This record gives sequence, C-alpha cells and structure tokens, in this order.
Amino acid sequence: MTTLEMLDFARGEFFYGALLFFIGGMSYRLVQVLGLGWRSDRTAPKKSQPLGVVVSFLRGILILPFIPWVRGTFQRQPIVYIAGGLFHLGLFVVIFFGTAHVMVWRDLLGSVSLGFAWPSLALPLVDLLAAVAIVAMLVLLMYRLTHPVMQKLTGPADMLNWLFVFLPMITGYLLTNQAFLRYEEMFLLHQMTVNIMLIWIPLGRISHFIFYFFSRSIHGSEYAKRGAQV
Amino acid sequence: MATEKIYEAWQRKGISRRDFLKAGAIITAALGLSASEVDKVMALLQERHRVPVIWLEFQDCAGCTESIARSQNPTLSSLVLNTLTIEYHETLMAAAGFQAEDNRRRIMQDYRGEYVLVVEGSVPTADDGVYCTIGGHSAEDLLKETAEGAAAIIAVGNCAAYGGIPKAKPNPTGAKGIDEILTDKTVVNIPGCPAIPEAMSNTITHFVVFGELPELDEIGRPLAYYRNTVHDRCLKRPFYEAGKFAESFDDEGYRAGWCLFKLGCKGPTTYNACASLKWNEGTSFPIQAGHPCIGCSQPNFWDQGGFYTAQSAPLMEPSLPMALIAAGVGAAAGAGVTVANRMGKKKDAEPASQEEEKASE
Ligand code: SF4
Repeated sequence: MTTLEMLDFARGEFFYGALLFFIGGMSYRLVQVLGLGWRSDRTAPKKSQPLGVVVSFLRGILILPFIPWVRGTFQRQPIVYIAGGLFHLGLFVVIFFGTAHVMVWRDLLGSVSLGFAWPSLALPLVDLLAAVAIVAMLVLLMYRLTHPVMQKLTGPADMLNWLFVFLPMITGYLLTNQAFLRYEEMFLLHQMTVNIMLIWIPLGRISHFIFYFFSRSIHGSEYAKRGAQV
Repeated sequence: MATEKIYEAWQRKGISRRDFLKAGAIITAALGLSASEVDKVMALLQERHRVPVIWLEFQDCAGCTESIARSQNPTLSSLVLNTLTIEYHETLMAAAGFQAEDNRRRIMQDYRGEYVLVVEGSVPTADDGVYCTIGGHSAEDLLKETAEGAAAIIAVGNCAAYGGIPKAKPNPTGAKGIDEILTDKTVVNIPGCPAIPEAMSNTITHFVVFGELPELDEIGRPLAYYRNTVHDRCLKRPFYEAGKFAESFDDEGYRAGWCLFKLGCKGPTTYNACASLKWNEGTSFPIQAGHPCIGCSQPNFWDQGGFYTAQSAPLMEPSLPMALIAAGVGAAAGAGVTVANRMGKKKDAEPASQEEEKASE
C-alpha cells in the first residue's frame, strides 16, 4: 500500500468507522451518566434553577478563566493553571477556527447546516495558538511526571489521554508548517492520529469536553435549588 | 538494424551546422543541464543513433498527443518527433488499418531492443479486454507484445500511468495503468491530464541523448518534473501562508488573487511542474488562471473527493441517518447496561450511599 492509498483509507473508510464509533460511544456514555440519576429532592427550589444554570456557565466560561485568583487551583499551582487554560484555548481555536478544520466542519455539517458556515481565523494566529497549546501540553506532562502527588495519581490511561491528544496536535502543527515529512505523509499521520483519538475519546476521560456541560448544568441547577448560588 | 546517426539525419535533411548547434543548446537547456554541458550534449548528438518511437493509444482522449503536438515550443517537439526519433503514432501517422499494424510490427522486428514505447491511455482488463481492441487485438495483448522488445517504456498522461479517468469509480472496464500490467519492466510515468508537453518531450529526449532513463520517484515519475508539489511553487503560496483564502469564485479575495485552498485546490499533494514550467510557453497554469488544482498528476485523482471540496475534508462521512443510528445503538447499549447494573444492585441490596458516591463523581 502506498502512502497515498493509506491516506485515502485514513480519510475514507477509517475516518468513517472512527466517527461512527465516536458517536455511538459518546451516546453510550451519556446514557450511562444520565442513568446514574440523582436523589429526588422534593423541597421547593430556593432560587431560580434556570438562572442557576446560566450563572454556572458564566462563572465557568467567562469569570474563572479570566479572574483566576479566585480559585485555589491557581493560587497553589499557577503554572499548571495557566498551561491548562492556554492548552484548552489553543485546542478550541485550532479545532473550530483553523482553516482546514473549518472546511471539515463545513463538509460534515453540510447536510444539516443548510450552507451555514463560520469563517476561519487568520492562519498565523491559529498557528501561534497551536504552538502555545503544544508547549502547554509539554509543561503539563513535565508537571505530571515530576510532581510527587501527580506521579501517584498518574496511571497508564492518563498517559494515553495525553498521547492521543498530543499526536494529532503535533502532526497537525507540522503539517501546517510543512516540516520534516512530505505533505501527504504528515497528512496521513495527522488523519490517522485523529481517527485513533476519535475512537479513544468515548473510552477515556477526554470525553469531559461534553460532560463538562452536563455537570455545569446540573450543579448550577442544584446549587440554585438549595440557595447556594445566584 | 541500426538507425542512422542523429547528426547524419540532420545533414540529410539539409539542416545547417549552425542550426544543429542551436538545437544542441535548446536540448541542453530543456534537459535542465548547465550551459557548460552543451559540448557534452553536442558530442552525444553526433554519436548517437536516432531512436524509433512507437506511440500506442488505448483508452484515452488523445489529449496528451494534442498537448505535445500543439506544444508552444514547436522547435523542441518537432526535434523530438522528427529528428531525434522515427515514429509510429496512431493519431499522427498517415498510414491506417492493416498498413499501420504492419508498420508497427516491422519497427518492432527491425529495431528490437532499441525502440522506445510510448503509451497513452489506460488498458481495460474486464471482460477479456473487449472495451478496447485494435485490429482485432486487445489493448492488453498489444501492450505486452510491443513492450517485450522495447528499450524504454514511457506512459504519458494519467490514464496510461495510473488508469486515469477510465479507472474512476466504478471503473466499468477494469482499466489499469500500464505498470500494473508490465510488472516486470520499468515504466516511466509522465502523468497529467494532459501531461505537460515539455515533461513528455524532454523525457524522450533524455533517453535518446543519454541512452538511459531519468531518475524517478517511487511512483515512476521523473524527479526533474515531479520533485515538487504545485503548492511548493505556487504563486498564491504567500496568501496561503498569510491565511488569505478565496471563499467563492466571485468574492473579493478571489479577485485579489488569494489562495484557492478553500475552493478545493489539491496543489498541496500534487507533484507536477505546472507552477514552474507553466503552459503555453510559460504563460500561465490553472491556478494562475483562477481554477483550483484538481491533482491530475496523482493516482486516482478523479476519486479524491469533489474538485471543489477542500482537501482537508474527509473522503467518506456518515450520513445523518447513519449518525443517528450509531447514536441510537450507543444509547440502547448504555440503557441496557445501566438497567442491568441497577437490577444487579437491587439484588445485592447494596447500601444507597454507594450510588450517591457514584453520582457525585
Ligand atoms: S492555490 Fe493551491 S497550490 Fe496555490 S497556495 Fe493555494 S493551496 Fe497551494
């Protein structure tokens, strides 16, 4: 099989299978989490629950990242906090606003979006954020490997989580900058690692990118019910 | 039977010594050699014999023949077709029918081990090759027969090199590139749709002058023309680097000449000399004229997603119903496992606090 044939496979059948596994796997996880349920609480809510949800999201997305000193995590581990934040920011921007990725979304959502598409951000900016995210990942890895407590907490699954995100990041960065390998070879590596990541996500803890929104909603609503927030 | 020497043919045609020197300079430049090597080329041209070329056409559109015959560098193509070589060309020769077939057989016999075989068009292999026959013989038989005594075999155009358009899914004729059939021989591929005239004529010239094939990449293409991608040499590359992309064929970015990646350009993975040699005597090439590269020098270019779909987009993606089915199957499995767990737990009558612990995880 030549590189080009493998690339066709990675962009074709393999991606198709990986994406279906991802969709099926995530919905499996979601139903399981919902199935855990929580205890019914018949007391009258003390504050508006929908408002509680909104506040919870605002705090999580708009306040905590920008006013980090309110958090204990920041006070105790500023480097980890900042690296984690920059990593998430970089990843988000690259996935949703990198030119090549915008074209993937446009194609994938073509049948449901009725032609709606969002613009991509300037390549140099996305490229910079990607580099920052990659450095942040390396910092986080170093921390994980050197910090005595983190060493104890880190298992093989955590290393795989890191690896399966890092590989698409680094290959994507090198692909954009056309370094080391030929374009189609790096494209192949990038697509393969993305496919592997898609398969891994439902199995590991990276799935938090969806569950985060559920936990924020539930916590916001529960806090409001008990009058702890809003 | 040895052919006459190239220089002898020149003299016989009454071409002056001065023109011979000029031709030597043109050939030296065309082969990408430095000016200091003119002497070497001149010496070779005086010594070497003319080489017969047999040019076969199978499942093709004769576009590559058009490309070389209408090349804007007529000096070079006529040099190649008339002076350096003697030809058997199904489109260009006057002979027809059995006479033409006889010609081919005669050249094959008289110049066994000396002639160059150029093939244009793919070879159908389905249904015993009935989709392309000449003089009652299938393309596959003709190819094998002619390739047997050839000194060099050159596939021009994507069809002969990799199957081209006839091989596009679902490939009803079982079309193949010729190196898939001549597996025990070296085939030089000059893909393109059509191939760049200079890439064709220069490769033939290279063999005639040096008596050996040029250096090839892993899919048989001469590195001299296929070392770089179109994207590597593209005049819109600075726009690509700056992230300036035309979004449609009539927006401002398009008119300003921005990169065509979002409009489906396949330049980044396409190895060809379009962006450097260009076409029509270096006038322009598709991207310069405003059309994204369609990747016509790459294997299976017809099945690489839509011409106007960006290259980063997947080649296969689940339809909405398929995605919903996957989600449904996942949800059903999740529900099944949850119910089974609960029933198991009830049986074991585990303390409620455990469940609480889980929920708060
Ligand atoms: S137009 Fe195509 S080949 Fe040229 S820079 Fe853009 S993507 Fe590359």
